[in-house]
Parts: sequence; C-alpha cells; structure tokens
Amino acid sequence: MSEYHKPIPNINGDSKEFWMGCKAHELRFQKCKACGHVRWPASFICPMCYSKETEWVVSRGKGKVYTFVVYHVAYDPGFESDLPYVVADVELVEGPRLMTNIVGCRPDELRCEMLVEVTWEDITEEFSLPKFKPCS
Amino acid sequence: MLEAGLCKYVVLSYGHNALSSDSMRRMLLERNADDAVFGHFGAVAGYALAARRAMHTFRTGPETWKQIAVGQRKWANLNPAATLYDRPMTFEDYYDARWIVEPFRLFDTCLMTDGGRAMIITSTERARDLRHPPALIMGVGQYNPSCDVHQATHLTGPTGAKKAGEMALRMAGITLNDIDAYEIYDCFTYTVEITLQDYGFFGPGECEDWLKNGTMEPGGRVPVNTSGGQLSEAYYMGLTPLSEAAMQLMGRCGNRQLGPATKTKSPNIILCSDNGGILQTHSCIVLRRS
Repeated sequence: MSEYHKPIPNINGDSKEFWMGCKAHELRFQKCKACGHVRWPASFICPMCYSKETEWVVSRGKGKVYTFVVYHVAYDPGFESDLPYVVADVELVEGPRLMTNIVGCRPDELRCEMLVEVTWEDITEEFSLPKFKPCS
Repeated sequence: MLEAGLCKYVVLSYGHNALSSDSMRRMLLERNADDAVFGHFGAVAGYALAARRAMHTFRTGPETWKQIAVGQRKWANLNPAATLYDRPMTFEDYYDARWIVEPFRLFDTCLMTDGGRAMIITSTERARDLRHPPALIMGVGQYNPSCDVHQATHLTGPTGAKKAGEMALRMAGITLNDIDAYEIYDCFTYTVEITLQDYGFFGPGECEDWLKNGTMEPGGRVPVNTSGGQLSEAYYMGLTPLSEAAMQLMGRCGNRQLGPATKTKSPNIILCSDNGGILQTHSCIVLRRS
C-alpha cells in the first residue's frame, strides 16, 4: 500500500470498537440496552437516558444525505489533489449521523435526502474509512 | 460584578493578529475529533453544512445571501475604519468570487483581521459625568443548543437565537417593533439570515423578499450591521457588533451614523447578537441611548 498523506483516526477507548469494525468493513454503533437509542459518537453513557448499559450493533450501511458541502480549498495539503471534494453528514437508517465523504457522484448531482450506501476505502494496514456512494 | 460592588469598571476586550499569524487558522482548523480524516475542518464548512440544509429545508441560497453581503458592504463604504471601505461590491462581484466551501463563496465569509477593540462597562451613576453619553444595557439573553453540527437538529432553526432573543426582549420590556437597528454576529451571511429569522422578522424562506429594496442598507427600514460587520469591517468576535451598537447610540459614527446622515431613524434602541461554535451558543444584548 502506498504512503498515506492524510490524517488518520485518533483511536480512543470510546471509538476503538468503531474503527476495529471499519477494518472488518462493518459499521458498528453503540445501542443503549435501556432505551434502544443508537448513538454516535461513541460514549460510555447514553445521551438520551443516561444508561451505561450498551451493546454494539452492526449498521446496514444505508442512509441518506442530511447535508453536504463541497470543498474548494484544501485546509490540509493531503486533500489538494481531491479538490473539489464532498464532505457530507449522512443519516443512517439506524439513526446516527456520520460525517463522511460521498464518492461516485458528481458534486453538482448530489442532493440532500439522496439515498446512499457505505463503500470502504482501505487507507493503511490498520485503517479503513467508511465512505458513501449513491445507492445502486 | 459592578452591581455587587466588586469593581468599578470592566474592560471587555479582544485583540488578535489573525491575519498576519497562523493562530486563527490553527485554532479553527485543528482536527475536530475524526472529522479531519474525511477532510472536514473549521468553521466555514460547519456553517456551510447548516446553510446547505437550509437550502433544502426552506427556500434560501445565494439569492438571499448576496443581498446581505452587498448590503453590509454599502455600510462599510461609509466607514473609513472598515477593511473594505474603498471596495464597493455589486451582485455580479458576489457571484464572480471564488467558492470557498460550497454553498459559500468568498463574500459569504467574514474577514480575518489584525486588530482589536475594547469597551468599558461601568455603573450608570459613574457614566453620567463621562465625556460621551453612555449606551445602557437594557436586556441580555443566552441560549446554547450546544450539540455538535453532525448530530444537530437546530441548523435550520430555531437556533439559540430564538430563546436568547425572547429572554433579552423580556428583560428589556420591549418588542422587536421598538428596536431601531440590529448588529448581528455575521461570521457568514447565512448566520445573519437564520438569526433574524429566529428573532422573528420573517418566516423560513422569506428572508430574500424581506431584504429586497435595501431593507437593511443605508436608507433602509431596518438597518443591519451598520459598520460593515465581520463580513466587511473587521472580525473582532462579538465586539464587532457590540461596539458598533454602543458607538451608534453614542452618536459617534460619522458618515454611517444612523439618523439624518444615512436617511434612517435616529436610534434609541439597538439589538446585538453573538454566536459561538457552529450555531452552538447564542447571546443577545439590547442597548439603549441614555
């Protein structure tokens, strides 16, 4: 795998399971055992009911574009060759919204509420990124 | 602090070499959790996400925002202290400017400024025999939705402006109709739209019509951001709007002075706003002439 020049995830105790899931091409989120709320970002306590009882569930990887922007400026040199590129807030069917990229779609064809599905980009030996593309 | 007698004067100050150093960029662009992994950085894109959702939810977009950018520039053209004082702007200039983070073009975004501003707050009793007539604080309100942009449900309103505005007006004992001008925190054009919308000037998607024929401009019915604001004067965080309100009420604004000089109503009451994060915190302050 060629050298990777963009930022890589900062793994912490909360997010470790998520990024391990990504490596296995699975989108894993915490589901509260008390109220059923599926949450992101990962945290030790449910933001809805404050329960600490949690299980990890695997998302179907489908959702819709809640909102998106098109970058025309590279704030990190690693993204220069990607310009213009799309950052989107994707709402998964299970509930959480995830900041991600939309690929396989021209920026001017992208719309809010467009149906999208996960596609994996293996960036290093350790990391895979969940990106999204229009549903086939 | 003043009322409790803990001190006699409070200096409210802001200073930054944001333009000539990289400190503002570093603060804004420092990786925000793991968003940087996807190339997501800073405030422009955060507010652009909100603005894009607003384009989807109600009818807004560049047609609305260009009027805010151009309207504020007309005020800046009357303000020799404004960064863009000698730079008139047309709607064509707005559209011709480059994209930064779509849907925001260059003139949707605020300036980076080397400079500062300070205000002194003291008791009304002490202020009475100062050189300039003071501006008096009538009401304050604060409301903070807090939630980070990627899970936020308030991006298209109501933002914190709604409750903060209601709080400040209740404390002041007035309604929107009593206010003569507005100094709105304007990090981006959309911020001005959603703030005025949440204060109750117009319904979702009605800003474009509300702005038509120069409503907020010199000579307009509802003057907004009379120094040029953060878009065209200078970026001093909340002190850009707040200091302008005080200066207008003191009658110290020269060619841009509200009243006969700008064919507007002489101001008795001015409302100011301040924002933090990506629409995550909101303050509203109502000032009046002494």
